[in-house]
Amino acid sequence: MKVGKIVNLLSGASFDRLQGAIDTSNLRQKVIANNIANADTPNFKRSDVSFESMLEQEMDRNSSSLIGNRTDSRHFYIGPNSGSMVSPQVTTDETTVYNNNLNNVDMDKEMSQLAQNQLKYNALIQQLNHDIKLKRIVLEGR
Amino acid sequence: MNISNSFNISASALTAQRLRMDVVSSNIANAETTRGRYVDGKFEPYRRKMVVMQPYQEKSFANVLQSELGEPDVGRGVKITQIKEDQAPFKQVYNPTHPDADSNGYVSMPNVDVLKEMVDMISATRAYESNVTALNASKSMFMKALEIGK
Repeated sequence: MKVGKIVNLLSGASFDRLQGAIDTSNLRQKVIANNIANADTPNFKRSDVSFESMLEQEMDRNSSSLIGNRTDSRHFYIGPNSGSMVSPQVTTDETTVYNNNLNNVDMDKEMSQLAQNQLKYNALIQQLNHDIKLKRIVLEGR
Repeated sequence: MNISNSFNISASALTAQRLRMDVVSSNIANAETTRGRYVDGKFEPYRRKMVVMQPYQEKSFANVLQSELGEPDVGRGVKITQIKEDQAPFKQVYNPTHPDADSNGYVSMPNVDVLKEMVDMISATRAYESNVTALNASKSMFMKALEIGK
């Protein structure tokens, strides 16, 4: 096995995507923590992280693009692969008002998003560990 | 590692809510204080105090570096910028035997409404609790991240 192939083991598309998703989850945690911290601040507007919908869009866009025709399974594959990396965006919701002091933090929503984000983060880490375990099996050959 | 940032955000809110709690305590403790301050040769009753909260604006070196590197800018928590006094008029209570009664027998009592303070206190407690929850969530995420590759 060539060295290049071993290096490729750890930099596959799914690995990078997982990393992107974990980073996003991290960022979302910060944004939610900030929303909760400012729940009583007058004129504060809540922020959100958009990533999943953008990634989905990007993947949809890729799936409709050109795919190379292969007459042999050993041919190079041409077509959508990992796609360009989508980076998460922080958006601020300026249009709504939830409170008398022009604040729009809905505590119930923030707390549920916090729980959701935590579960998602744990799931992602578990998935990443699983991937690493599989690769370790490949490397050790047992 | 920039997850410590989310710790700082929650911690700033905990500090702010605790200070708010201190102010509420001071207001309730002084609900009957007729000699709050000595102004122009006579005593003025205690004035109710309120906190002014603002999103934390100051940028640290790390914040500037992050935004220069093109990382999305999230907030940096909350800060109490000042403690203001309530300018509402004092309550006038008829009590001629009180040492601070005026010539008509009325005593100026502090403009503290204990009911309002109680509501504020519960609000501060709940806000504190939700920030503790957020902090614990960050902590458990951080602990989970240490398990990567185990």
